[in-house]
Amino acid sequence: MAENKSIPKTMWEPIAHEERNKEKISRPSVTYWQDAWRRLKQNKLSMLGLIMIAILFTLAIFGPMIANHTYSDQDLNLTNIPPRFEIYKIDKDTFVHVRRDYTLIQVSEDGEILGKVEETEDNIFQRYRAYKIEGKDIKLDYSLAAKNKDKPNAKKFMLLSDGEELIPYKKVFNKTYWFGTDALGRDLFIRVLYGARISLTVAIVAALVNFFIGVLYGGISGYMGGKVDNVMMRIVDIVSTVPLMLYVIMLMVVMGAGLKTIIIALGLTYWVRMARIVRGQVLSLKEQEYVLAAKTLGASTWRILIRHLIPNAMGPIIVALTMQIPSAIFTESFLSFIGLGVSAPMASWGTLASDALGGLRTYAYQLFFPSIAICITMLAFNFLGDGLRDALDPRLRK
Amino acid sequence: MGRFLANRIISMLITLFLVITITFFLMHAIPGGPFTREKPLPPKVIEALEAKYKLDQPLWKQYVDYLKGVVTFDLGPSFQRVGVTVNELIAKGFPVSAKIGGGSILLVLLVGIPLGVISALKQNKWQDQVVMVLATLGVTIPSFVMATLIIYIFSSKLGWLPSHGLTSWKHMIGPMIALGGFSLSFVARLTRSSMLEVLQQDYIRTARAKGLSEFVVVGKHALKNALIPVVSYIGPTIAAILTGSFVVEKIFAIPGLGKHFVESVGNRDYTVLMGVTIFYAAFLVLMILIVDILYGFIDPRIKVGD
Repeated sequence: MAENKSIPKTMWEPIAHEERNKEKISRPSVTYWQDAWRRLKQNKLSMLGLIMIAILFTLAIFGPMIANHTYSDQDLNLTNIPPRFEIYKIDKDTFVHVRRDYTLIQVSEDGEILGKVEETEDNIFQRYRAYKIEGKDIKLDYSLAAKNKDKPNAKKFMLLSDGEELIPYKKVFNKTYWFGTDALGRDLFIRVLYGARISLTVAIVAALVNFFIGVLYGGISGYMGGKVDNVMMRIVDIVSTVPLMLYVIMLMVVMGAGLKTIIIALGLTYWVRMARIVRGQVLSLKEQEYVLAAKTLGASTWRILIRHLIPNAMGPIIVALTMQIPSAIFTESFLSFIGLGVSAPMASWGTLASDALGGLRTYAYQLFFPSIAICITMLAFNFLGDGLRDALDPRLRK
Repeated sequence: MGRFLANRIISMLITLFLVITITFFLMHAIPGGPFTREKPLPPKVIEALEAKYKLDQPLWKQYVDYLKGVVTFDLGPSFQRVGVTVNELIAKGFPVSAKIGGGSILLVLLVGIPLGVISALKQNKWQDQVVMVLATLGVTIPSFVMATLIIYIFSSKLGWLPSHGLTSWKHMIGPMIALGGFSLSFVARLTRSSMLEVLQQDYIRTARAKGLSEFVVVGKHALKNALIPVVSYIGPTIAAILTGSFVVEKIFAIPGLGKHFVESVGNRDYTVLMGVTIFYAAFLVLMILIVDILYGFIDPRIKVGD
């Protein structure tokens, strides 16, 4: 006892700074979502997908706003101009481009489109067109085209300036129409941007339908169980034996083509797969203790479903969403391709691709850009979906 | 087994009945009849046409007649092509479609599965990466883009394949790849992931410990188990190839059922549309039943009786 009383003051020293934090929990507690986000960030491909989707949305929303013409503005003088073309030098500052239908377009040296050159003579028997540019007589002789019809790489025309043959000056990118123009002289870039609007609208609608109808349907079916579940799932079985595309086509035929119809058709059919996934999740989750606890505390069925079960099934729901969205975009472009999509002059990527089919051999770029747009969107959603599946899988949590 | 079959067949029939009912009433809900033209037909002509196609009868009677027709495999005449019945169209178009569709299913299985296995066995090596890049590209390119690319590159630029029609085996290559491309990629990815999972199992270690050759371990023990999820994907594959045929047959100008279907959508030929839809539904339901039965044989853990 005596010793206790006489603890020297020097012993009451504060502990060293480093030791002070020893008791603290050094690693912050990470919630499921924080952890998923952290793991998603490490996956470079999914981040790329996420960034690509963000860029797509930005372009689709703001692109058409700042563009100087709309998807339907046409200029029949400037049809089928490719995004990259050869130019010929006529004079010091005068350049022309020969289109695939053997007419001349005046361009600037760095590829701006200045306008169509009016011909002074169009001789279809001897197959040439004559022009007068800057005081020079230009003759576009396309008689070779008929001779070299079966040789794709042979020369098709000659451009003569005052009787002298011109050789290509250089190849330039189209500065006025980045993606070129279509058969009606509409700016393909703007049309692809508007197409992105349609595709993303469809994506958002599909996501909402999946989320509200699919999740609730599956949730109710799984939680109620028994006869309710049986009946609800039989309905899903019946709806899903026939491919969704058939229903959508039938609905489109009945209601008439258009964006509204696509949205309604998707709304009526696209929740089925999600309903199945959520039902499976809820079936196993409802046996958990926290559901029992919530029940004991008197929570209503609705509250248990919305506040307890669905939030806990969110991982698989989100993964399924990122898989359903691209399939909705696919369906829309597929429908537009077979002529059941949005009505002209509005165009979605599928319509653009379908319009480009006719001139595929000569104007392949018209198919290229909408197709690339579809592929990039698909890739972006697929990358994000794969990453999310790994990030939200609790078995892979470290 | 018997009870399972009976159950399945009953639910199959209910599904078909509902599909028929839905299509029938949907088609009759369309504003304007099948004879609405830009230039209106004289009322007498319309009356005569309606009488000929029994459209003047009450709706319920038409419905009962149609049901009777379906039961006796008579899907009625085409509204737009004079003198052609829907049955004839199906009889002509389906064998063509089946040839290409069957070919692409074989392609999906015979190429997709080996690719997936190779990729799983060589995980993270270059073979795996090549297969995965191809498989990712395959699920991102829509069938109509794939089809046009094939025509553009192999028919138009290189001249290796014919671009349209269906007269020789060479004609089948393009459509088969375009049709099966998506499913092939999907099957390759599916086989890879399920193979990777199976290779971790204890029984594989046991098989290796017994000193079995790698070929037997992979081919007999691993592959058989890894294929179970692939088998369950065959049903959706058939559906995907069926719907894919709409555009692929249109692009390659193949006179199959898909092309008729899309054309009937275009020129509003309602009876053809209904008939082909019902035929597709019946075909799919039957295929899914067959796959389900096969599934029970392949995986004895699944009792077909359940």
